[in-house]
Amino acid sequence: MNASGNASNRKGKAAATLVEMCSVRLGQTLFGVPITHILEIVGSARPQPVPLAPPFVGGLVHYRGDVLTTVSLRQLLGLPPKEGAQDILVLESAGGCFGLLVDSVGEVLTVSSDDYEPNPSILDERRRALFAGAYKLRDRLLVALDPERLDPMRLSAAQMA
Amino acid sequence: MALDELTREFLIESQEGLDRMERCLTELEERPTDASLIGDIFRSVHTIKGTTGFLGFKRLEKLAHAGENLLGQLREGKLLADAPTITGLLKLLDGLRSILKSIEVESTEGDGDDAGLIGLMEALQAPAQARQAVRLKAGAHRWTAAPAGAGLAPLAMAERDSGPPVQPLETAQEPVAVSSAAPAPTEAGSDDAKPRAQAPAIGTAAESTLRVDVTLLNRMMNLVGELVLTRNQVLQATASDPNMTLLSRRLDMVTADLRESVMKARMQPVSNIFSKMPRMVRDLSQSLGRRVRLHMEGQDTELDKSLLEAIKDPLTHAVRNSMDHGIEQPEVRQAAGKDPEGTLKLRASQEGSHVVIEVSDDGAGIAVERIRQKAIERGLITPQRAAQLAERELLQLIFVPGFSTAAAVTNVSGRGVGMDVVRTNVEKIGGKVEIDSRAGKGTTLRMRIPLTLAIIPALIVRSVNQSFALPQGALSELVHVPPEQAASAIEWMEGAPLYRLRGKLLPLVFLDRLLMPAGEHKPPTERDNFIAVLDADGRCFGLVVDGLADPEEIVVKPLSAVLKDIGLYSGATVLGNADLALILDPGSIAIRAGVAMSSEEDQARASEGETDAEAAKRLEYLLVEASGRQAAVPLADVLRIEQLPLSRIEYIGNRPVLNFEGQLLPVEDSGGVLAPAEGNPSERSIADRQIIVVVCREGNRHVGIAVSHVLDVAAGGDLFEAGTSQRTGGVTLLKNRVTGVVDLGGVASLPLERNAPCELGEFEEAAR
Repeated sequence: MNASGNASNRKGKAAATLVEMCSVRLGQTLFGVPITHILEIVGSARPQPVPLAPPFVGGLVHYRGDVLTTVSLRQLLGLPPKEGAQDILVLESAGGCFGLLVDSVGEVLTVSSDDYEPNPSILDERRRALFAGAYKLRDRLLVALDPERLDPMRLSAAQMA
Repeated sequence: MALDELTREFLIESQEGLDRMERCLTELEERPTDASLIGDIFRSVHTIKGTTGFLGFKRLEKLAHAGENLLGQLREGKLLADAPTITGLLKLLDGLRSILKSIEVESTEGDGDDAGLIGLMEALQAPAQARQAVRLKAGAHRWTAAPAGAGLAPLAMAERDSGPPVQPLETAQEPVAVSSAAPAPTEAGSDDAKPRAQAPAIGTAAESTLRVDVTLLNRMMNLVGELVLTRNQVLQATASDPNMTLLSRRLDMVTADLRESVMKARMQPVSNIFSKMPRMVRDLSQSLGRRVRLHMEGQDTELDKSLLEAIKDPLTHAVRNSMDHGIEQPEVRQAAGKDPEGTLKLRASQEGSHVVIEVSDDGAGIAVERIRQKAIERGLITPQRAAQLAERELLQLIFVPGFSTAAAVTNVSGRGVGMDVVRTNVEKIGGKVEIDSRAGKGTTLRMRIPLTLAIIPALIVRSVNQSFALPQGALSELVHVPPEQAASAIEWMEGAPLYRLRGKLLPLVFLDRLLMPAGEHKPPTERDNFIAVLDADGRCFGLVVDGLADPEEIVVKPLSAVLKDIGLYSGATVLGNADLALILDPGSIAIRAGVAMSSEEDQARASEGETDAEAAKRLEYLLVEASGRQAAVPLADVLRIEQLPLSRIEYIGNRPVLNFEGQLLPVEDSGGVLAPAEGNPSERSIADRQIIVVVCREGNRHVGIAVSHVLDVAAGGDLFEAGTSQRTGGVTLLKNRVTGVVDLGGVASLPLERNAPCELGEFEEAAR
């Protein structure tokens, strides 16, 4: 993953590309998900828990006539669960649609590939596997999330390993 | 792989054309002179030829052209559609199909050589007298000349399927076909008129239909489900607003209509799979040397598209079985005094919310004695047990997996290859399979399929503060164990909870403990226990839940793979109150909890006991309590137990009555349950008090008995008066206590005309 990050970095120096990221707040960190992967944002949802499901599953929500499995970002990062309703990003990945449970969804930021850095080496292994590098904003970092890495099937496979 | 839109369209259209051609060809065999059939076949081939030339599929064009020439002769009446011609046309059909397949898969026609097939088409055009000679010549180089090519493999396979290549030619003079010899001239004549009359109708039907992608239909179904939920919420939100009543009622109606229409759009007639059968039967009868007449009934019966797909294999299997093992060789049949031509019947019909599909043959039937022997040899049942089993019960043994897979058994029993597969497939979609057979007379296989898979009746239960849906199909009964009775009613055997259900021990599974193994759980003595008695594929157990809600028709939504892997849930659904509920899978729960299949012995004991149980039923009583005294009501007479507020009881004079589902029930209150409770004079609390009315049948009328509690169901014992050995009336021994039996006949009838229906209006007048 670092290799690909470097590659895009180098290319970025030649001609910077702009990426639109939906910012997401969770705890103290600002995350960003490329808007091209977001199908819809569902506000203040209360997912139905699924007994015996893998821990990262945040529950089920009803989404446009279908039942959507959600992934709890808090749980993935080892944070305590949040009381009350949470926002859901409906994401599209190779394995189908799923929901990402986050504390709250912020505005859409336009970031430049010039400001991209891959994951730092001192990041713990679990986070390194989840994050797709970071963008340097003027006053803080925007941690990039890649929907493919958050896909429940992939998470479940990783958990088994 | 990537096909352009035009080619794809062409493929779909051609497949449909060939399907139609296949149907027509098998019909043509019975009515060789039917011009409209020949016309139909000609059109199918002609269309393919025309379009292929345009799209540049040379090989396909040449083959279709050869076929068209032959069909042209037939159409002009220069040739007669005899058996060899039809066989040849079927080969043409297979050839065209395999090229289409090759186009679909590899985008090319393949490089096979169709010279043999084209030669056959030409040979068949020769006038009948000259044919004999040419035919053998054509046969010699047919197919054998074909070089090995990518597109050829399917061709070769199709060839093998339809029997040895040369056979149709050698036997051409004899009727090898399904029933080409059978139709008497009169029959053919009468049939002639019909298709001609039907033809224009078919044409207009084709014009008014439209091809729709199934995924689009699925999407529509989902959206309609969504709309239903939104409607429910709108109805709730606007309930108090009188201005909205009319609008929301209209929304309600339109939504219901829309939902029904979309469901209907998913339905397809069973003829979609039935239509494949004539060809299969024809090919099989040739390769097996049988003579079989196929009868099909109820082809317009409709079934959900996905279910239709699911029963295709079991049906094919059943037909093969009937042909292979059921219907005997013509000589054998003749020797047995039967018509040498066997009959295979396919029947579809709708029965309530199910579609019944029957495959019956008039073949040799299943030798039940052989099954009995083999079952004993294989240790499936004990000899004593085998002697007692009825024929019908023995027949069901062919569905036992171990029974049918072993070749030795199959050879002897003569039938049953993969019957367990048929059953598994049908049960997977919520259906049932039965078999009926009489030795020497034939066999009938009956499949009961639910109309749609997407909507199932379910009971909503509560556990771990959540709602779950329990499919009604597996549910046999519900038992309520209140906390105060839990200590005695639920027995523990070294940590295994058991419940005595009519004298038999039923293993219990606590849903909360199963779902949250780590959590804290209230012991059964501190909460209400509802036992759902389930029978999941022979695994019987009681699932203990915290509460019951209403039964609902639920729309099944699939779960993501991650959640499917948990294994306990078969899907999820959205309830009427917009809550989500997981659908429990009783079979997986049983396996997870380690509930074993009830053994053959157990089942045997259960069925033996059945007749006793019937007798015992008359002696079972519902034990009730009214104002501190216990009484018994014969269970067979109990229709319902209703809990309702005291205010629902009305009076005619002094007679308490209950308006129950629009009918009037006289209520017996010998226990004084309805009397205002002492020391509680407040009007309000009296009206709110809950009472229980046991609704019973007494002769032709219904009566209610007011009680304060329903305690139990118990078998009553007869009591004999000491010294006289005479049975006492009016009392019975329940749980070792002498208990009075409520005399239902003694409940005075209402002061209404006996024969007049109980009209509420009348009654209200009477009450005034």
